[in-house]
Amino acid sequence: MIETMNKAVKSFFLALLLVGIVLAPACRSKKAPPPKLVPTTDTTASVPNVPTVATTTETQVSNPPDFVQPQPQPSVTVETLPNDVEELNRVAEQRGYLQDAFYSFDESTLTTDAQSALTSSATWLKKNSQYNLLIEGHCDERGTEQYNLALGDRRANSAKEYIVALGVDVSRIRTVSYGEERPFDSGHDEAAWAKNRRAHLVIVAK
Amino acid sequence: MKPVKAKGRKQKAEGRAIPSLLLSALCLLPFSLHAQTQIRPEISKEQATTIVRIAVPRPDGVPLELIETPFFAPMTRDLAASGVFAIAPIPPNLPPDANLAKAANAEYVLSLKFTQQEQDFVVAARLLDPTGVTQFGRGYRGIAASLPRMAHMLANDLVREMTGKPGIFLSQIAYASNRTGNWEIWLMDWDGSNQRQITNHRAMAILPRWASDNDRMVYTLFSGGRSEMYIINRRGGGRIHVQTGVGLNTSATFSPVSNDIAFVGSVAGNPDIYVIRDDSTNMRRLTTSYSIESTPEWSPNGRQISFTSGRSGTPQIYLMDAEGTNVQRLSFEGEWNDDATWSPSGEEVAYTSRVDGRFQIRIANVITKQSRIVAGEGSNEQPTWSPDGHWFAFQSNRSGRWQVYRMRTDGTELTQLTFDGENKDPDWSKKAE
Repeated sequence: MIETMNKAVKSFFLALLLVGIVLAPACRSKKAPPPKLVPTTDTTASVPNVPTVATTTETQVSNPPDFVQPQPQPSVTVETLPNDVEELNRVAEQRGYLQDAFYSFDESTLTTDAQSALTSSATWLKKNSQYNLLIEGHCDERGTEQYNLALGDRRANSAKEYIVALGVDVSRIRTVSYGEERPFDSGHDEAAWAKNRRAHLVIVAK
Repeated sequence: MKPVKAKGRKQKAEGRAIPSLLLSALCLLPFSLHAQTQIRPEISKEQATTIVRIAVPRPDGVPLELIETPFFAPMTRDLAASGVFAIAPIPPNLPPDANLAKAANAEYVLSLKFTQQEQDFVVAARLLDPTGVTQFGRGYRGIAASLPRMAHMLANDLVREMTGKPGIFLSQIAYASNRTGNWEIWLMDWDGSNQRQITNHRAMAILPRWASDNDRMVYTLFSGGRSEMYIINRRGGGRIHVQTGVGLNTSATFSPVSNDIAFVGSVAGNPDIYVIRDDSTNMRRLTTSYSIESTPEWSPNGRQISFTSGRSGTPQIYLMDAEGTNVQRLSFEGEWNDDATWSPSGEEVAYTSRVDGRFQIRIANVITKQSRIVAGEGSNEQPTWSPDGHWFAFQSNRSGRWQVYRMRTDGTELTQLTFDGENKDPDWSKKAE
């Protein structure tokens, strides 16, 4: 009895849904072919009819763009990485695949934070061996230009050594020092300086 | 361009004795006017060290507005800055002859007579003493565009006449400027005029350093994620890539006595001082400390090299022999010192020294190691000496942006030389002319 009731209710709602399916696009687009009316007066319409009607109706309203149910996003995989290297670097930074190492004033030794950032980066690099890495050494403006170029070189190499020790092939990594020439933050306070003392990881094509 | 000295009484003929074709080939040609006059046999030592009062009346012969800006103004600026001449105020309504010297209480009158010959300006310059005797006489000839150069040549000659050494008014300052949107190498005259772009990499070219030939510069180019050493001449030609096979290639600087270039190279994150010949051969490493070494600079005789090292825990200035031996520490004050450059005499070193959180220019005696601070407001870095040792140029951010300034080594007569974009890394050419 309950089963019959359920069936009847199901049939009713299914019929309603189908009407909706048929009418919704028809209302939006005059170009859509006139759909065959589904018998709605008889809510007790025999169940076997329903699939037939549904099939016919769906065929008639094929490809209405607004109707397509949003597909769940597939989880991100390596294949979805952009081909353009600049775009790839932007994505890699946003998603934290590559994380820069930050340093104290006039220091090139790695803090624990810097080590964990480089560890994450090394993990991603090992999985994505199709890419090479450029490590840029940067300094804040409080030093002198010429000494900072040397200090930036040491920072870039401290990050390189750490990543290589974690198993990334040394031949994939190159370094350059920009000293204080290309600050990330042009401010003149500790917040800006802290951002500018870094080893910046950049993906480069092989 | 060599001055052509006319002998005998040819000075009356001025340019006529020289084929006009040659004249047009040489846009500018000084010639002697003093042949018929008595020259003082020698310049006394007193004269070389005392200030000479000189009256400089307006030139005759052409409308002043034609030559005021390109010739007369730079020439009087040069003389006033020479440290040799003091320009005496001129009483009104007196003709520019020897009597003017007495009236102005000056030792000399500089008489300038202009004529125009076709495209050329010709100026006859005479230095008259109060008795009317010509102490110095010379002519200069060139097209309108050469007038500033003629002005600097005349000022140089007048300084040489008094001191036996040429003035610095034809020396050049190389620097890096980002006014085009990229850092490129630029040149300017000593007074900041005639600013012109030498490189066009559209990348980042910085840290130019003159060779002793007064023609070539070495610099660092950042391009494609690499920093490399390049040489270029003062006309922007003859570019050479010096291949070192190591990283960094910064702070490159020519030896004053050979074709060697000292620079900072890095292998595996250990920046050290290296030397390489300008044909990319004969590279050797001078420092071996694990600390950071940077910023080498040769002494004027090429026998010593100053450099910066972090071996004590902070960046400090050290000296060593050109072979890398006999290392001694020069700077003891301040927790950050860098950018050492030698005075032309080799007796002093100027460097950037951090004082109360900002950088100042410090000048230290190489032997006694006593030092003094010059410079002033803002952060001041990268001093470079004028060829006569009386001035240095440096970069300062006192205006809010990096610009190149010039001042006397006693800290007086500060002049801002650059204004467009940001400008830094000044290096004064090594020869006076």
